Amino acid sequence: MNTNSNAYTVIYTTLVVVVVAAVLAFTAMQLKPSQQANAKAETLRQMMSAAQIKPTDELYAAKNAQILQIYADNIREAYTIGADGQKNGTLGTDKAGIELVDNLKPQDKAIKAGGEVTLPVYVFQNGFSVIPIYGAGLWGPVWGYVAFQPDGRTIAGTYFDHESETPGLGAKIKDEAWFREKFVGKTVAFGSEPLFNLAKNAEAGGATNAVDAITGATMTSKGLGEALNVWFKAYEKHFGKTVNPNEEEE
Amino acid sequence: MDKKLKETILNPILKGNPITVLILGICSSLAVTVQLKGALVMAISVIIVTGMSSLICSLLRNSIPNRVRIIVQLVVVAMMVILVDQILKAGEGTYAIDKQLSVYIGLIITNCIVMGRIEAFALGNKPIPSLLDGLANGVGYGLILIIVAFFRELLGSGTLFGLQVLPAGYIPNNLVILPPFALILLGCIIWAHRAYDKDLQEK
Repeated sequence: MNTNSNAYTVIYTTLVVVVVAAVLAFTAMQLKPSQQANAKAETLRQMMSAAQIKPTDELYAAKNAQILQIYADNIREAYTIGADGQKNGTLGTDKAGIELVDNLKPQDKAIKAGGEVTLPVYVFQNGFSVIPIYGAGLWGPVWGYVAFQPDGRTIAGTYFDHESETPGLGAKIKDEAWFREKFVGKTVAFGSEPLFNLAKNAEAGGATNAVDAITGATMTSKGLGEALNVWFKAYEKHFGKTVNPNEEEE
Repeated sequence: MDKKLKETILNPILKGNPITVLILGICSSLAVTVQLKGALVMAISVIIVTGMSSLICSLLRNSIPNRVRIIVQLVVVAMMVILVDQILKAGEGTYAIDKQLSVYIGLIITNCIVMGRIEAFALGNKPIPSLLDGLANGVGYGLILIIVAFFRELLGSGTLFGLQVLPAGYIPNNLVILPPFALILLGCIIWAHRAYDKDLQEK
């Protein structure tokens, strides 16, 4: 057979592409549940690391099933708030509650457009409330979780992650424990401007709402700082007036 | 085992090593060798991709229209890379490593070793030797990756596979973590390889 004729070439390539597409589609469908379970456990690890439930290393050493259990044992309440800062839905304290976190990008758009939003708040048994943040770094998105103490303005812990920041520079927001620990004990200045200041020498004046930017990672720091401010602003009406009602309950 | 088959397997690991002799696949060997764990996963991924792509292309070799053979090879390699990436993402233990290796798993498709072996070997040989040739080239690549990662993790973080090896007082060398050091190390390996195997030296 002439394998160089046009008809043969067209039919052959079509067949190859169809077969490959079928194989890939089938695999993607088969593997999707476990990929989602991994992504969900990853989110929970980061949230609980911010909420100081367990040390980060321990959370990363734990299996997915253990993570779901630790979350179920430690979550007290998970709900969403709207643009007015009022509760507009509950997420349920079961593991399904975290799914809204996949929704960060559209919520980020909604915040910036000034439209209606459904922003998650996760209150843990230790009284810390965790909120997500999301924004643009230098090469791709950066996001993270910030845990507030029961007073709703003092930061109890953070965890930041990124898609493709430069290793050794911008990637320090995730890799370096000292960076996330710098936020602990700092406060968000709800009701004034700026809410939070992540910049060069920001700590120098003794401000409690400031953390120094990372040397060599100016753009990543800038993006993260903006993400923090945009999302803190979106939560301002919620945290700005309500001191966590569950405080000192136990 | 006959001599030719033995040659097919051993040559890419020693005398015809894709990295140190053919200087292929340098880019990813600089990028993913900061830690042994990542290097090991990358090595295994490349071994699977080169082996399976060579096998599939060898099976198809008599039917592939010559004018579009590169495109067909590309489709096969791309399929294998996506499969490996998807499986790594689905595994509980490998998810974190896949995140860490990020784009480099996807970029296996651009690794010259894969297409190079298909063009040079798989299209002209039977499936079993092609499979072995692909696997052996992956092993040759992976071996160098692991040697480089061993030194970079040891000197750059004081650990091996994440376990503290050097005493706690050791101050990690930041240069070792940066890609240029991998190139220096690679140069040293090539030097050692040539000093050992005199046949590789140009007259």
